[in-house]
Amino acid sequence: MSDASNAIAPKILDVRPILESGGEPFQAIMEAVQSLGPGQGLRLFATFRPQPLFRVMASRGFDHEAHEIEGGDWEVLFTPQQVVAPVETSDNADRPETWPDPSLHLDLSDLDPPEPMVRILAAAETLGPGEVLFAVLSREPLFLFPELTKRGHQWAGNFDETGSAYRILVRTGRAKA
Amino acid sequence: MQGATLSRWTMSYFALACLMLVAGQGLMLAGYGYPAVAVSAPETLVLVHILAIGWLSLLMAGALLQFVPVLIARPLVGGRFAAPALLLIVAGLGALVGGFVALSGAIDLPLALLPLGGGLLLAGFVLLAAVLAATLLAARPLPLPARFVAVGLSALVGAALVGFAFTLALSGTSDNLLLVRLVADGVDLHAALGLGGWLSVTALGVSYRLLAMFLLAPEAERPTSRIVWWAASLAIGLVAACIPVVLLAASGVTALFAAAFLLTLAAVLLYGGDVVHLYRSRKRKQAELNIRATFAAFGALLLSVALLNLPGVRAGEGLAAVVYLFVFGWLTGLGLAQLYKIVAFLTWLEAYGPVLGRAPVPRVQDLVDEGRGRVLFWFYYGAVAAATLALFAEASGVFRAAVLVQLAATLGLIGELIRARRLCIVPKALRAPVGMVRPHLFLPTFVSRR
Repeated sequence: MSDASNAIAPKILDVRPILESGGEPFQAIMEAVQSLGPGQGLRLFATFRPQPLFRVMASRGFDHEAHEIEGGDWEVLFTPQQVVAPVETSDNADRPETWPDPSLHLDLSDLDPPEPMVRILAAAETLGPGEVLFAVLSREPLFLFPELTKRGHQWAGNFDETGSAYRILVRTGRAKA
Repeated sequence: MQGATLSRWTMSYFALACLMLVAGQGLMLAGYGYPAVAVSAPETLVLVHILAIGWLSLLMAGALLQFVPVLIARPLVGGRFAAPALLLIVAGLGALVGGFVALSGAIDLPLALLPLGGGLLLAGFVLLAAVLAATLLAARPLPLPARFVAVGLSALVGAALVGFAFTLALSGTSDNLLLVRLVADGVDLHAALGLGGWLSVTALGVSYRLLAMFLLAPEAERPTSRIVWWAASLAIGLVAACIPVVLLAASGVTALFAAAFLLTLAAVLLYGGDVVHLYRSRKRKQAELNIRATFAAFGALLLSVALLNLPGVRAGEGLAAVVYLFVFGWLTGLGLAQLYKIVAFLTWLEAYGPVLGRAPVPRVQDLVDEGRGRVLFWFYYGAVAAATLALFAEASGVFRAAVLVQLAATLGLIGELIRARRLCIVPKALRAPVGMVRPHLFLPTFVSRR
């Protein structure tokens, strides 16, 4: 399952025509920045390495990656610094980074609550003890969490950078009837 | 991180609230209180407090105990005080109503019931507010819906304090000049803090989250929503500022109220825009009945707040009709519409939570019969509109006829809630899988669950 942040293509802005006609591209750049979606980057083409812009963009939370292209022009990719929501874990979860890779992937983002909760609990019943499932939901499944821990399962989850998808890993506990 | 669990006493709050709604409408049907007697008569006070405290405040309190943890994704702090708070509030309401009946002279009861009731209510509401405030404090910085709740809780404590002061003066326990002034000129601000600050501001905040949840809409904090919070908070601040003005017998209350109502109108208009935006960005194609029934409540809110901005209405006879529209069209309409969904969802989780994923279970919507619900909501809102117009026209016979229909629709909707609790509507094949918990009608299940 691909990371959601890579799914959004960066916006492309070529300010070389403005610069070549002697214009000042700053306003066009800032307008482009304002029109970016959450998590979206900006690919900028300029006739020189836009050093002053790097500070301005850094203050707005963007990293940059600049390289020279053909004809002495420059291409800069500004990417938003990832403000990833902290990972929440169940009180019984021990070191999620040591869990095995998920043996089941579920995309539940289009289902009406509480259907995602039903699907995850049902899927967990099919896994052996210690196995892991991964699911994507459109909301934080607050009512699911206690049901998981009651059944001895552990979980770890967080929102993606855009805040529009919740990812959860569930590691099944001891099998019960 | 534990997530959100079922609030143990919420159904008990809801059940008592529904009983009080029936009692209040029953009294109106019997011709008790306004319009048969004056707005300020003790009989009207009985009626108003049964509805504002017994119905609306218990409903809101029960809902907050369940949904504040959902707003902030944290468990409730001090949930064991939910039941004592309920007992204090119910006992306080009983004593207060007894005190008003004593004032009316209908039955010879001690006037000391008034301050007793006011004190118990203050204690109950402070306990409730403390539980919710402690829960909110653990979750700072607060998301926007929770900030609405924080403002609402402050207004609740303010309204309860002013109310307690009233009971001291009305019972003759104290003849302090300040208290006498407060009783003479502070009734409007007591009502504005209670119906506006506590019940409405809280409802607006919670609805931002619940509407997004029920409509599957993205939950971005919009700048307009933040302005709604500021405008509503400022309006409540202006009303609260009336308290010292009244105590000092200074002038300016009228101007402060006019400014507060104007701010409220701005907040309601922006809120309406936010709701339309949420509705348009929804992923769920068909909004369920609870959402559609809520839109009628929003209409009543907008209309009543717009009317309250007319100086003539604020001073004149139409005021009672506008307040009726606000209480029954907006607050009660919203409350019944959301109860319709919340009771079904909480019952589903309580009954089938233990067997989810292990056995086929019904969907939440299988617990309700939307066709019947829809008809009942049509009758309900139609009756509220007719009753409001009858009050405007001072046609008390028509008013009581409309209240009869309104009460019948309410009883029908409560019947639907009971059918949902009892899982009557669920198809037989799915109703009782092995391992499910059969919920009690309104008491918590004490069986420990595995």
